[in-house]
Amino acid sequence: MSSPYIAARGLGKSFSGKPVLADVSFVVEPGDVVGVLGKNGAGKTTLLELVLGFTPATAGGVQLFGYDSYRLPGAAKARIGFVPQQDELVNQLTAADQIGVISSFYPKWDDELVGRLADEWEVDLRQRVKNMSVGQRQKLSILLGLGHRPDVLILDEPVASLDPVARRQFLEQIIEVASDGNRSVVFSSHIVSDVERLANKIWILKDRRMYWQGDFDSLKDSIVRLHARATRPLPASLAFPNALNVQHDGTTATAVVQGWRAEMQAGLAQQLDAEIEVEHLTLEDIFLELHR
Amino acid sequence: MAASGQLPPGTELPSIRDLALKHAINPMTVSKVYALLEAEGVLERNRGKPMTVAKPTRTQTPHDKRLEQLEPHVEQVALAARQLELTEKDAVKALQEVWEKTDEQSVHRRTRPR
Repeated sequence: MSSPYIAARGLGKSFSGKPVLADVSFVVEPGDVVGVLGKNGAGKTTLLELVLGFTPATAGGVQLFGYDSYRLPGAAKARIGFVPQQDELVNQLTAADQIGVISSFYPKWDDELVGRLADEWEVDLRQRVKNMSVGQRQKLSILLGLGHRPDVLILDEPVASLDPVARRQFLEQIIEVASDGNRSVVFSSHIVSDVERLANKIWILKDRRMYWQGDFDSLKDSIVRLHARATRPLPASLAFPNALNVQHDGTTATAVVQGWRAEMQAGLAQQLDAEIEVEHLTLEDIFLELHR
Repeated sequence: MAASGQLPPGTELPSIRDLALKHAINPMTVSKVYALLEAEGVLERNRGKPMTVAKPTRTQTPHDKRLEQLEPHVEQVALAARQLELTEKDAVKALQEVWEKTDEQSVHRRTRPR
């Protein structure tokens, strides 16, 4: 087993004594594609910035390629690609000059890749950054994150301003990176269906904590919607284990529960004297149920 | 499609990367699917070459397992029959008629209706 690219333990961050992230631990292995979900203000950007070492942790820490992320040597930094939520492009430059500036920092910049993607994504390299649309700027920003073929690619809301065609092209590029098997991607997104397609690991941030992490299959098996049907009216004080939401209507009841295991079904059916049907939810439904 | 015989044995499958790109899904998902189908004997892994549809070895799968695989299809028929307000007898008769019209060869000739 190769060592993880990223490993965080008890990670926390407070701004002026106000916690924005607490007690977060995770690992990212080579080949992982991690989708980070969370409502606005859940701490996604702070988490990514801690991983990148842009800001020191106030508790715990993150290791990136085995180094403390806040004290990364240059050679390790060259293995990271980052696409920020708000681009850091220079308005006065043309796209080509902007690429030139960034590429000069990286000894192994892939001109062929960047040229080909600029062409496919219809990024006009002669255009000045200030004249570009938000979507064009985002595309350019993604190109800059990919150009040095980083081992770890971190993207904060990379597709927010992209049209459906550009978004699909972007997804394909992430798949290219993931197909390598030795590179990792961590991306936050509000487009849950993209996360569902791309990620093999999902992190859900809620109330400044890592609420759930793991692969999609185990998330789907663990958070389910139960439908109970009884012949006699079900008691008002229904005991569903770890219920998030319960709706109760005479002889039927519906509950979304977490920590579900298939072997619990028979026991619950007996306990409620009801027929129990287990419904598996989409990632979007799970996310919404968690935030009701 | 491989299991139902729409893809004859020996058909080459797209690479993991190509299939992942085509559907914009994580390559590990495709890889998992291929591995599952390989374990079920539907696909064959070939060193350094694309995976192929395996020759049917379904007779080696236990009878009860094969019946289990059939169940969802039968359920569809039963549900459709009920929605059309047909009786159990009508449904069984319809199945028998179709059964008699088909033979071993039609398994491989079959194309997707619709």
